[in-house]
Amino acid sequence: MRRSLLNGLPISIMDFLKKVSILLLLGGLYLPGSAQTACGYVLVPKGSYRVGQRQHGLNPARTVQVDSFYIAACETTNRQFAAFVAATGYVTDAEQRHDALVFVPGLREFEWNNDSTAYWRYPNGVAVGGIENKMEHPVTCISYKDVLAYCTWAGVRLPTLDEWEIASRAGSNGTYFFGEKKKDIGRYANVWHGADHLQADSSDGYMYTSPVGSFQPNAWGLYDVYGNVFEFCSGKVKPDENPRLAHARGGSWWCSATSCSFFNSVDIGRVNRRASFSNQGFRVVK
Amino acid sequence: MKKIVAVLVLVAAYSVCFAQDDYTWVEPSKESQAYHEYRMKISRPPDGLQKVLGMISKIQDNENEALALSQKEYMSLSLREKLTYHLIHAETYSQNCDARPPVPDEHMKIFGQLPDAFGDYSWSQRQGNFMIANRDTVIALVSASIIRSSRVGLNYKKAIIDINAREMIPLLIKTYNKDHKDHDILTLLMILMKNNEFEPFMTSTSYKKLYANEETSYEAYLNFNSANEALIIERATNFYNGLPKKG
Repeated sequence: MRRSLLNGLPISIMDFLKKVSILLLLGGLYLPGSAQTACGYVLVPKGSYRVGQRQHGLNPARTVQVDSFYIAACETTNRQFAAFVAATGYVTDAEQRHDALVFVPGLREFEWNNDSTAYWRYPNGVAVGGIENKMEHPVTCISYKDVLAYCTWAGVRLPTLDEWEIASRAGSNGTYFFGEKKKDIGRYANVWHGADHLQADSSDGYMYTSPVGSFQPNAWGLYDVYGNVFEFCSGKVKPDENPRLAHARGGSWWCSATSCSFFNSVDIGRVNRRASFSNQGFRVVK
Repeated sequence: MKKIVAVLVLVAAYSVCFAQDDYTWVEPSKESQAYHEYRMKISRPPDGLQKVLGMISKIQDNENEALALSQKEYMSLSLREKLTYHLIHAETYSQNCDARPPVPDEHMKIFGQLPDAFGDYSWSQRQGNFMIANRDTVIALVSASIIRSSRVGLNYKKAIIDINAREMIPLLIKTYNKDHKDHDILTLLMILMKNNEFEPFMTSTSYKKLYANEETSYEAYLNFNSANEALIIERATNFYNGLPKKG
């Protein structure tokens, strides 16, 4: 077996350590050149990665090969989306269709209210207030279609389902990047801690979204992968699935342990491409 | 030599572990898949069905989406036609995590929760409010449809939960007992007991396993067997018998 001259470790381990070093280094860098720069990007090197979980119906355990990619350390913010709208005059689906779905405490599990006044500037409706003081929060109430328009303008793209998972895992093989104790989720993600959604829950400081990067990152420096907002990804789970569907991963501020629990590296959600929810957002890749 | 052998054994063990970990998804059995299809059935009430289906087909856009009937069209429907519209058509979206991944051996399980009735669509506030405001009519029409077809579609089950139609418990049990096939009827009985905080159920092992634990997932289930089946029916019957009788 070849060993490095420096410390006698196997070459494969040295390669791994080099990869991690690069990731940690780039995680904090500011990379100018597009609207998507505030929080920096993390480089994920080309290579083979383990994804999925044994006996998971939509995401079976397997090894995938990916080329290197840079993934945003933070979710795309209201400030970044506002720059896009200011530059292009883009009008989102929710503004045109008046069909955004918002949450108020008191709704039963998985129930959302249609609010014709809600869109990205008023993600929970005009009555709840705008984003003036939430410019560093993730943008929400945007549809998959809106996100693709943003990406085209910003010169970025969505992560594939595999890329998102590799980045979220940050080298771990389990359900969560922080170990297997689900109850530790509160250190890393803005999620819902109430037993149901009948009563408001702000026990972690936020009922709705939080400023990006408010919770601890994963080992590669990515923030909010399991919370704040669901993150759209590109790609299909099944080759023959309905073209109406988009997929998003991670959890959101709405997600609780008892009724969603998608705040992990394994589950894959699905949502209509034209739907605009106030817990739906994205992070980008370039 | 011993060292070489030890290394080879370790490498072989690692390879075996890795190969096992590389396990790919095994499709659920045909029986399980058939049961999955069976439990996803949407019942269609007869009142104005063709008229309502025709109206829904006209609101489909070029992406094959069919959301809400306009208020004018909606108001042109009779009460019974409105109910048919609501029961067979969901006019808003479901959120990302509504989707549950497929599970093996569905036919051998009694789940704590029902599957999603309309995929990436859900009933809107208007639809939910209608059901609650017309509760007695919903119960009468859905009951008649169940008696005729001996089936309780997933949409009917969801409506029964939404309007808390506890008075339908005897009909649900009777329908279940015809073939003991639709285990989601047992799920429905348990959800009714849970939502009404029926104490003997709230303090049961079943409740703890399915709903009480913070670690409980939406996919939690009991094994399907005659003992569990009988226990759920017995508890639901006791729950129903303890309800205040209408004068």
